[in-house]
Amino acid sequence: MSELSADGVSVAFAGLKALSEVSLKVSSGQILGLIGPNGAGKTTLVNVLTGFQAPTSGAVLLDGASLTGAEAHEVRRRGIARTFQGGRLFRDLPVIDNLEVTGLGLGLSRAAAIREAEEMLDWIGIASLADRIAGTLPYTDERRVAIGRALMRQPKFLLLDEPAAGMSAQEANDLSDLIRRIARERDCGVLLIEHNVGLVLGVCDHIVVLDSGAVIETGPPAAIRASETVRHAYMGTAADTDLPVQEALV
Amino acid sequence: MRQTSSLTILRRTVSTPVILILLLVAFAILSWAVGSRPFNQTVIDILVQVTLVTGLYIFIGNSGVISFGHAAFACLGGYVIAWTTIKPMMKKNAMPGLPDWLMSMEIGWWAAAALAALWAALWAGIFGAILMRLSGIAASIATFAMLAMINAIYSNWSGVTGGTSSIVGIPIIRSVWPYLAVASLAVIIAWAYSISRHGLILRAARDEPTAARASGVDIPRARLIAFVLSGAVMGAGGAMLALSIGVVTPNTFYLGLTFTTLSMLVVGGMGSLSGAVLGVLILSSLIQVLRWLEAGVQIGTSTFALPGGVQEIGLGVVMILILMFRPTGIMGNRELKFPWRR
Ligand SMILES: Nc1ncnc2c1ncn2[C@@H]1O[C@H](COP(=O)(O)OP(=O)(O)OP(=O)(O)O)[C@@H](O)[C@H]1O
Ligand SMILES: [Mg+2]
Repeated sequence: MSELSADGVSVAFAGLKALSEVSLKVSSGQILGLIGPNGAGKTTLVNVLTGFQAPTSGAVLLDGASLTGAEAHEVRRRGIARTFQGGRLFRDLPVIDNLEVTGLGLGLSRAAAIREAEEMLDWIGIASLADRIAGTLPYTDERRVAIGRALMRQPKFLLLDEPAAGMSAQEANDLSDLIRRIARERDCGVLLIEHNVGLVLGVCDHIVVLDSGAVIETGPPAAIRASETVRHAYMGTAADTDLPVQEALV
Repeated sequence: MRQTSSLTILRRTVSTPVILILLLVAFAILSWAVGSRPFNQTVIDILVQVTLVTGLYIFIGNSGVISFGHAAFACLGGYVIAWTTIKPMMKKNAMPGLPDWLMSMEIGWWAAAALAALWAALWAGIFGAILMRLSGIAASIATFAMLAMINAIYSNWSGVTGGTSSIVGIPIIRSVWPYLAVASLAVIIAWAYSISRHGLILRAARDEPTAARASGVDIPRARLIAFVLSGAVMGAGGAMLALSIGVVTPNTFYLGLTFTTLSMLVVGGMGSLSGAVLGVLILSSLIQVLRWLEAGVQIGTSTFALPGGVQEIGLGVVMILILMFRPTGIMGNRELKFPWRR
C-alpha cells in the first residue's frame, strides 16, 4: 500500500499565486478526481507532484519520504507517472517505440522494453496500432497510447491531465473503464484531472476541487455534486458554458 | 507476430553502415587504381573528414544540440599524435616541457590514434559533465567557449605543445587503407550507437524532451554518453588528420575545421548518419573542383582560372542554397538502405 501526497504546496509565478497551501493524497488503487475551472492550478499541481515544477513552499511525499526537489526523471523512476494535456507523444516514432523508449528510460534492455511494450498495448487493447507512427494517430488513440506509455514498468501512481478532452460520450465511457481497470487490476493510484465532470463523478472515489489555486471542496462524488461552493466556482467563470458542468451538477 | 529480438533490430538497420562503408571502399579503391599522388591525398582528406563529421554527427545528430566545440577534440587527438609518434630527438627541441616518459615514447599510428581517442574522450567527459546540463543556444555557446579555451591552452602552453608554432616531424602515412579503416570504424560506431538504447533514448529526448523526462530519461546523462563517444571519434579523426599532413598547430583544429565539418553535416542532414557521410563526399568533391578551377584549367589554348577565394565563397553559396531549399539537409532524417526490406 503506497501513498502519494502534496503537503501545503504553494507555487508562485512572478507574483501570480498559482497554488496556495494545497494538500491532497492518493493511495494505491484509489481514483482521486481533481477538478476546477481553467487556470485553477490543476496542471501546476501535477507538475509539482512529478518534479516538473519546484514548489515555492510545501512538500511532496511518497510513503512519507520527501520527493521535493527530485528531478522529473527521478520521480518517474520512483513510480510516479503522468500524461500531458497536449499528448506529447514521440511523434516521429511508431506507437510501439513510444512505449519502448519509456522502458529504456526506466532501465530495460531493448528486447525487454519491446516485450513489455507489446504486452501493454495488448492489455489496453490497442495492439493493432503498434506500427502506426504516433504523430498520425487520431486524438482518442493518442490518449490511450500516452496512458500505455505512462504505465510501462508498473508505476505506483498515474496522474492523468485531461485524458478525455475532445472525446465523444462513448469514447469517454471506454476511458472510464480503462481508468477503473488501471486502479483495480494494477493496484495503481490514479489522479484524474478532467473538465468532463460527469466522467469524474462517475469514476472517482474521492474528489478535490481547486479554484484560483486553493482547495475549495473535497469529498466523495455525491457530496461534490451537492456542493453549493463548487457550483459557484463553476458558474463564476466564463469558460463554463462549453463544459458539461451544469448537467453534471444538477 | 512481431519479431522483437535484438537480432531483428540489427538486421533491419545494418544495410546503412554497409552501404556507407562500400562507398568509402569505392573511393579508396579508385585512388589506389588511379595511383596519382594528388588524387591519393584528396581521397585521404575525404576519409579524414568522414571520420570527423561522423564524430560530430554522433553528438549533434542524436541530441539535436549544435556543438561549435568539437574541433577541440580533434585538437586534443592531433597533439597526442605529435606527442607519441615524433622521434624523441625532434620532440626535445619543439616541445621541451614534455615529461620524460612521453618524451621517449614512440609508438605506431594505430596505438597513437587509440590513445588520441581516449584522451579526447576523457576531456569530453570532463567538459560534458558541466556542459550537458545546459540546453539550446546556451549549450551551443558553451561548446564554443570550450573550443576557445582549449585552443588558448594549446596556443600558450609552449613547453608541451610548442605554442602557436608548427610541430613538424609526424611520420606521414601515405597509404589510404589506414584512413579507410578508421573512417569505417567511425561509421560502425556511429551506427551501433544510434541503434543502441542510449541512441534511441537521446533521439526521443531531442524530439520531445518533456515527455522523455516523464519517461524516466536523464537527459544530461544521455547527452553525456553521446558527447564522450563523439569526442572519442573526433579525437581519432584529429589524429588521422595529423598523420595525413604531418604537421600540427592549434589553428589546424580551430575555426576553419569547425566551419567545414559543420557545413558538411548540415548539408548532408544533421539527423542522419548517411547525411553526414554524403555531406562530406559531396562538399569535398565540390571543394576539389573549385580548387582545380582556382589553380586553372587548360581549355584549348587558353587557361581558365577562377580568382582566389572562390572556393570558400562557393562553399558558402552551396550551403545557403541547400539550407533554403532543404532545411534538413540532403538526407533529412532518412538513412540509405537496401531496397529489399519492407
Ligand atoms: N510556467 C508558468 N509561468 C507563469 N504562469 C504560469 C505558468 N504555468 C501556469 N501558470 C499560470 O498558473 C495558473 C494555473 O495554471 P494551470 O495550468 O495549472 O491551470 P489548470 O487548472 O491546469 O488550467 P486548465 O484547465 O486550463 O488546464 C494560470 O493562471 C496560469 O496562467
Ligand atoms: Mg491544465
